[in-house]
Amino acid sequence: MATTTTPANTQYNYDIVRKFTIMTVIWGVLGMLAGVYIASELAWPFLNLDIPQLTFGRLRPVHTSLVIFGFGGSALFATSYYIVQRTCQVRLAFEGLANFTFWGWQISIGLAGISYVMGYTQAREYAEMVWPIDLLIAVTWVSYLLVFVQTLRKRSQPHIYVANWFFMAFILATAILHIFNNLAVPLNLFSLESYSLEAGVQDAMTQWWYGHNAVGFFLTAAFLGMMYYFVPKQAGRPVYSYRLSIIHFWALIFLYMWVGAHHLHWTALPDWTSTLAATFSILLLLPSWGGMINGIMTLSGAWDRLRTDPVIRFLIVALSFYGMSTFEGPMMSLKSVNALSHYTDWTIGHVHSGALGWVAMITMGSLYHLVPRLWETRMYSTRLINIHFWLATTGIIIYIGAMWVAGITQGLMWRAFDDYGNLAYTFVESVRFVVPMYMVRAFGGLLFLSGMIIMAYNVFMTIRQGKQEQAEVEAKIAAKLAHA
Amino acid sequence: MSKENTKPTVQTTGHAWDGDLQEFNNPLPNWWLWSFYATVVFAVIYWVLYPAWPVGRNYTKGVMNDITYTTSAGKTVTTHWNTRAALMQDLQAARERQKPYLDQISKASYNEIAKDPEKSAFAYSMAKVLFADNCAACHQTGGAGVIGLYPNLADDDWLWGGKVENIEATIRGGRKGMMPAFGKRLSETEMDDLSEHVLSLSGNKVDAAKELRGKALFEGSAGCFACHGKDAKGQASMGSANLTDSIWTIANVPGQTTLEGKKAEVKKVIFNGISREMPTWKGRLSDTEIKMLTFYVHELGGGK
Repeated sequence: MATTTTPANTQYNYDIVRKFTIMTVIWGVLGMLAGVYIASELAWPFLNLDIPQLTFGRLRPVHTSLVIFGFGGSALFATSYYIVQRTCQVRLAFEGLANFTFWGWQISIGLAGISYVMGYTQAREYAEMVWPIDLLIAVTWVSYLLVFVQTLRKRSQPHIYVANWFFMAFILATAILHIFNNLAVPLNLFSLESYSLEAGVQDAMTQWWYGHNAVGFFLTAAFLGMMYYFVPKQAGRPVYSYRLSIIHFWALIFLYMWVGAHHLHWTALPDWTSTLAATFSILLLLPSWGGMINGIMTLSGAWDRLRTDPVIRFLIVALSFYGMSTFEGPMMSLKSVNALSHYTDWTIGHVHSGALGWVAMITMGSLYHLVPRLWETRMYSTRLINIHFWLATTGIIIYIGAMWVAGITQGLMWRAFDDYGNLAYTFVESVRFVVPMYMVRAFGGLLFLSGMIIMAYNVFMTIRQGKQEQAEVEAKIAAKLAHA
Repeated sequence: MSKENTKPTVQTTGHAWDGDLQEFNNPLPNWWLWSFYATVVFAVIYWVLYPAWPVGRNYTKGVMNDITYTTSAGKTVTTHWNTRAALMQDLQAARERQKPYLDQISKASYNEIAKDPEKSAFAYSMAKVLFADNCAACHQTGGAGVIGLYPNLADDDWLWGGKVENIEATIRGGRKGMMPAFGKRLSETEMDDLSEHVLSLSGNKVDAAKELRGKALFEGSAGCFACHGKDAKGQASMGSANLTDSIWTIANVPGQTTLEGKKAEVKKVIFNGISREMPTWKGRLSDTEIKMLTFYVHELGGGK
């Protein structure tokens, strides 16, 4: 920032933040492209092209891994490294190790994508990576923990800022989740295949304990950390309530760990486990909203800026979708609602209202704040940010709308009986119904992807502009020195 | 500036990070706190009513919420509420609604089913699902089949006979469709002549001289007549096709526009022969289910 006395880029390690930021944008484009392609495969099956590597089954984990771990993960590395340095007023610890986290993470995601396309998978949702990649991720993640904790320990601020609590919780929980969910016995040292350590319902339970906490800690807590820095920064206002942040932080951390089993209602899972998951999901509603309230109330002094500042728009829409998905989630986790919603496209819609509406929108808003500061310039085009905003918002609404209609109708059709007690519809009738919805969904996704591509262009041009400006300054200094 | 955030009573915590990052110390919003308490009350009531907390190797079962259901084997079970029992109860309700109809249908003849609108409506409604679950994978949802692979059930042409008895026998016992391959027994010219003749049977314009030679082969040394009959109308007892109508199940003649293309299709069948099988459904479906499915398939095409 213009007011700091020592130039921020020498006081802090911005190089690592820049690298992760660039990868966020690249993985974002690739991951969302994969998403639009597989959405189109469902609407127009010929797009499988009879090439095994391109079929839905193989590309789907490519899409989820690239957007969650590539786009989301890189964004979290970038912002957490930026925020921890600035709020602790200290340079990032262990520079070499921090660099290792960059390469370890990027290589893991690259290898994961390639292995899925080749057909190698652990068949665990959101944890499809085969065991050697899991090991690389584990080492990378522990390095991340060391870098982050050591930076916190040597802080020159007496207090740890709230955003860092969320990042800390996210890093610790993700380490535990990743390690326990991936316990497996390889066939042999040279095989990519492995047997899961647990079997049957215990295995399913472990998987969804992981799966939902990936949502809770990776896609929620960590992005709340992002929110707690960039919202007050961009609004130029203090956080609404310190007390609320403490209460909702601990409630969130305590409650999330219990709810994974709501993915396994009406299965072989014991009913008491299912009940606990459902009730803890209901208990989670208000703590989740605590974060939304804190964010929105922080922005509430800056409503007028909604007209002029597209970054604020991204942030407020993100918070709104966060509130909406965290209301929808607990409802869907009730057994009776779940009996209708489970295995339908409603689930897909719910996930994307969280993933596109909350995770991606808060990331994009934060990046638009971050990028000009990292390269010491202004964003290349505010108009393009605005266009991106409208494409993304319209895209999400179309996407979720299509999936609501598709999912609820599927659920109703599957369980409809006629007057004789016979099933009223055959499965294929429900498939025929959702195909047009799949086309609408693919279109919504295409809008969202277009926005992301515009962002990539805008960021690329901003970086170029930043470098040019820097070169000009350096040339001026050199000229002055030559004169003297 | 917002009215609420800047009330003079609300102070920041006094810390500042990264230049201008501060926190107000606003109290928890009341509506938020009370809503949270409400979810706690909801959860506690839920825990009392439903299976919830593990205790040692057991768990709390929930109160005032028992479920009684009868299994398909006729056993009555009363248990604490659980999702499996809820499903069993649902299935029981469906079974009980179906039972009076199933009882009637199991005793009724095909004629009686067809004449009684209620019986036929029930049979149709249940068989539609049975067909989708068991038959549609090959014969397609509407029963139109796939040319070259699976026979069309929606037209009025039947390889193995279109009477209800024939259809029931087909479903119950399955069928093996077989035509020997003539590729090694006949010469290229002979197969060419034969295909001209076969095409002429259903009114295609062909070369008269070749057709005549083909006819001699058909009714003579090639032995086609043995299965397809002298009149080439096929025999339902062995599933041999009627070659005189314009209905094709293996050779995709309708898909070709030129005579050469049509001939190539017919020749392919003569050369390779046919070997296909429909599996048996006896044991997989109950007698009443097979009866309803027969009725459905009979209705689907023009049954005889």
